[in-house]
Amino acid sequence: MNLRLTNKQINIIEKANPFLIVSTIVAFTFGLYFSLLQSPPDYIQGDSMRIMYIHVPSAWFALMAYTILAGSSVLWFITRNPIFSIIARSIAQIGMIFTLISLVTGSIWGKPTWGVWWVWDARLTSMLLLFFLYLAYIFLWQSITNKDLASKISAALAIVGFVNIPIIKFSVDWWNTLHQPATISKLSSPSIDISMMVPLFIMTLATFLFLVTVFFIRLRIEILDNKILRIREVK
Amino acid sequence: MFALLKRDLYLALYSSSSFFYTSSFFVLILIILPFLFGTNDVQLQILFKGIIWIGLSLSILLTMERIFNADYEDGNLDIILQQNPSIEIVIISKYITHWIVYCLPLFIVLPMLSFLFYVSLDNIFLIFLNLFFGSFGMVFIVTFVSALTLGAKRTIFLKAIIVIPLFIPFLIFGTNLESWPILLALSMMSFVLSMYVSAYGLRLYVE
Repeated sequence: MNLRLTNKQINIIEKANPFLIVSTIVAFTFGLYFSLLQSPPDYIQGDSMRIMYIHVPSAWFALMAYTILAGSSVLWFITRNPIFSIIARSIAQIGMIFTLISLVTGSIWGKPTWGVWWVWDARLTSMLLLFFLYLAYIFLWQSITNKDLASKISAALAIVGFVNIPIIKFSVDWWNTLHQPATISKLSSPSIDISMMVPLFIMTLATFLFLVTVFFIRLRIEILDNKILRIREVK
Repeated sequence: MFALLKRDLYLALYSSSSFFYTSSFFVLILIILPFLFGTNDVQLQILFKGIIWIGLSLSILLTMERIFNADYEDGNLDIILQQNPSIEIVIISKYITHWIVYCLPLFIVLPMLSFLFYVSLDNIFLIFLNLFFGSFGMVFIVTFVSALTLGAKRTIFLKAIIVIPLFIPFLIFGTNLESWPILLALSMMSFVLSMYVSAYGLRLYVE
């Protein structure tokens, strides 16, 4: 190991934590107030559209989390700094949960809009596959008992998965145009009104703060875990 | 390389899986179809195109522990890697063995199956092309996943969770009859990926 994990990192995280938690709560209060009370209901979908304010940010951050996962795996290959492996591991679980949230909220939104809980839309199917990519990464990490080896192996798997995401996306899109009549595409409304834009922006910020808070908590746990592992190895 | 190929083929054919076993596996997977969905010939033709891919994926996936795991557990992998000049040659010979033992039987029984499921000979040729080019890519994918998961012991379900999302592009394009060039392209891409990743995985475990 060329770089050691120090107490300094944990100290920074512990100091940042209260601020993050408070600002997350504040942002969610503002976001929920604007999205549930202040913004107008959609003139086609009515109030059921409001679930978008949770659904859209969580879908964005699910994708962003996989990018961070792959990016930190690449950085881990270049620098061999253990902190990148720890970042990858902590972001993977959060990303999986965000994927799950976006799938479940999308499904709840779909019931009044489409009349069914699930349609085999290209985006939904790709998100489902993304969920399984996350799951494979986490399971692989857990199933290898030698943790040094596990971080090397799962970093490789993260990069393979990242290379595969465009291929999967492309093929699912192709499959969808083949099998699906273009009735669902009205979901992608190109123009969004400013009165809905503001709550969406605040909710995105709130979700991002939530992600950072949970990420820091996970990061601290993983660093401590890593330290315990090292101490055991020395003994 | 040829010594290794010969050894692996002998091992595969003399032990549990002769050609008859794997080809009977394919035939039995497909024979389930009429029992489940009736004998309507139009329906059977549609189902045949899908189930034949499930048969191929299962036969590649369920046997993926035989690529490296058996050699790794009894220590032969170290000796094989020492004897051969480069790690890539070992990987290529493993591809060839796995393809011959677990994919080739499907192509032998495929013409016969086309009569069972009323598929016309023109269509069966296109299905053959699809399966042929797709099967290479699937073997490449399975090999690198098997090299990566050598340390995770006896976890075929974990491997299935890793492999099946990577198979999905092959399955999507495989059911379309005109898309064999795309399958060929996918196989080539997975060859490049598989070479690097399996060499990386093997080097980690055998040091």
